[in-house]
Amino acid sequence: MALSLQRRFVTPGPGETVEEIADRALPDQDQGAAVDAIRSWNLHIFAMRRPPGLLLGSDVVFIEPPIG
Amino acid sequence: MYDVIVRGGLVVDGSGAPGYLGDVAVQDGKIVAVGQITGDALRFVEAEGRIVAPGFIDPHTHFDVQLLWDGAAKPALEHGITCVVPGNCSLSLAPLRAADRQQVIGMFQQIEEMPPAAFTEAFEWTWEDFAGYRAAIEKSLSINVAPLVGHSVIRLWVMGPHAQERAADAGEISAMQDMLRECLDAGAVGLSTSFVDVDENGRPVPSRFAQFEELDALSAVLGEYGRMLQIVPEFYAIDITIARIDQLAELSLKHNIPTTFSPVFDSTATPDNVARTVARVEEQFSRGARVWPQMQTRPIDISFSLLRPSLFFARLPRWVRILRQPLEQRIAALRDPETVAKMVADTGPDGGERMMGRLVVRGGDGAPVELTGRTLSDIAKDRGEVTALALINLSLEHGLDVALLSANAGHEVTDRIGPMLAHPLVHIGASDGGAHLASFSTYGDTGYLFSEFVRKSGALSLEQAVAKLTAETADIWGLKDRGRLEAGKAADIVIFDAATIGRGEERPAFDMPGNGMRYVRAATGIDTVLVNGQVAYAGGQYSEARAGVVCV
Amino acid sequence: MSAEAIIIGAQIVAGHDGSAELLVNLRHPNGAESPVVLDEATGLKLMKTCGAAHVDELTGQSWRRIVEGL
Repeated sequence: MALSLQRRFVTPGPGETVEEIADRALPDQDQGAAVDAIRSWNLHIFAMRRPPGLLLGSDVVFIEPPIG
Repeated sequence: MYDVIVRGGLVVDGSGAPGYLGDVAVQDGKIVAVGQITGDALRFVEAEGRIVAPGFIDPHTHFDVQLLWDGAAKPALEHGITCVVPGNCSLSLAPLRAADRQQVIGMFQQIEEMPPAAFTEAFEWTWEDFAGYRAAIEKSLSINVAPLVGHSVIRLWVMGPHAQERAADAGEISAMQDMLRECLDAGAVGLSTSFVDVDENGRPVPSRFAQFEELDALSAVLGEYGRMLQIVPEFYAIDITIARIDQLAELSLKHNIPTTFSPVFDSTATPDNVARTVARVEEQFSRGARVWPQMQTRPIDISFSLLRPSLFFARLPRWVRILRQPLEQRIAALRDPETVAKMVADTGPDGGERMMGRLVVRGGDGAPVELTGRTLSDIAKDRGEVTALALINLSLEHGLDVALLSANAGHEVTDRIGPMLAHPLVHIGASDGGAHLASFSTYGDTGYLFSEFVRKSGALSLEQAVAKLTAETADIWGLKDRGRLEAGKAADIVIFDAATIGRGEERPAFDMPGNGMRYVRAATGIDTVLVNGQVAYAGGQYSEARAGVVCV
Repeated sequence: MSAEAIIIGAQIVAGHDGSAELLVNLRHPNGAESPVVLDEATGLKLMKTCGAAHVDELTGQSWRRIVEGL
């Protein structure tokens, strides 16, 4: 059985910021827009993390919206 | 001469095969014969009209602390459980340096809600390493224990305060691998990690600071031993669950290890989640990966009081506004007749009966004991008040410290959940026994499986249900001597009444150290429980037997 | 179609730890929907931020309101 297509994600590197993830994962986009998009796709991280904005090496960070 | 013969019951041996009338003979803690047995024995256990099954295995518990003073993990054993797996969700009590104890206590209190006295009065810290912890609990076990070691504490051991701050370097990862080997050599049955848990300050637990490469390195060690990796994934968000399944599958395939994630539960708010979870698991199993979703049997309840704002009232705008005020103003508002009249009116022409009537007053808080377990509807009638007014006044009379329970608020639709539990790739577990002590009872899930999903809905046959809790669990976890009634296996045996096995009502008990409170449920329909050939529980009483072991 | 993710509904769900939680459904610009579950404090804060006294009043709000003030 082949694996069905699922939403793409990355995990943050050591000390990596959301801006750096945006540059890495969405290099063709304006950084501000890419960061904005990543935040909206990953509210499981950005809504409740304490301290706010902390990225963890174990996080699943989606680099695309949900698959329609 | 055998030590014990369990005589004349319907033997449901754990394999899933149809039950048959027979006997089970026990010698030196092992099953030595199953079938028609004619020999003599030092003790006969009569099982006529009863089911004779392997003892149940509970693969997701947090009994790490309780086992230090209660070797039966009460009330787990009386529910027919003969083996518990503590150390889940990245937390265990070893390896743990004395200097780091307080930090880990905070994490345990966050998850287990164990009273502080449990850590200061109930036992002596005699260990730092895993072998020392094993020795500490082994002194008086009457239940078997298959302990996981927690990723967070291994990280803390190696990295100290940096464990909750940053990624590990190559040397630190290597040291963690060495420590994991030491723990596995000392009897750990695997490693647990968590992607959701936080400490008492809301900061992510150490395991969450690990890069995937660190988990990969630790899984390589698990591969040397063929041992389990357990994780806690994010709840409700199915895309993340699938991402975690894929990560586990990668580790399982690369290192040839079993993996499991828990809990999995159904919600009518996200009705496709379990189906999508299971579909992904099926895809990964077809590639050869072992990624076992652990599903709980019991429904999820919501509890709240007027002491803190609760989303329970999110459909009542005025209630939300009032309850999110500071305590003093909130109480003043609730004492104002005009405000209260409006609040009650908001709940509808029935005075809140439909919305709140089925709420149950819980014990263990400011509520009078005689109200514990009664519905708000019932109490309101006694008081001559409409339901919403009774809630407000009862709360005011006890400083707002009256906990209420909205039962069956999630994972509650039996006809949906039965087939999920019956799925061959769904592992039954996730009880959380020994955790959430002051929030709800984590005991009785095994009885609930039989009462709700065997007797009531028929989603599983008796034999299937027994197999799920015994042989299948033993196979998943690699517990070679457990889970089956066959010659050579450990004599972990439960004798129960198929017509009445179930769970009792939830009730508060003040049996934690320092008279600490927890919610428990008694068992129904369990006659006798043998652990390694000795009767550990019979006729509603725990025995003095201490035959439990750390089993691998 | 909105140029950013918007809230299309919210409901109370049972949290694993026995608390009530807020499950917020979002529709993204590509038309796909996804949920985020907020703990009690964050859910109540979202309602306050949006001036919502009822969960239904969250519908139509931008995803940004969820992270506002963090």
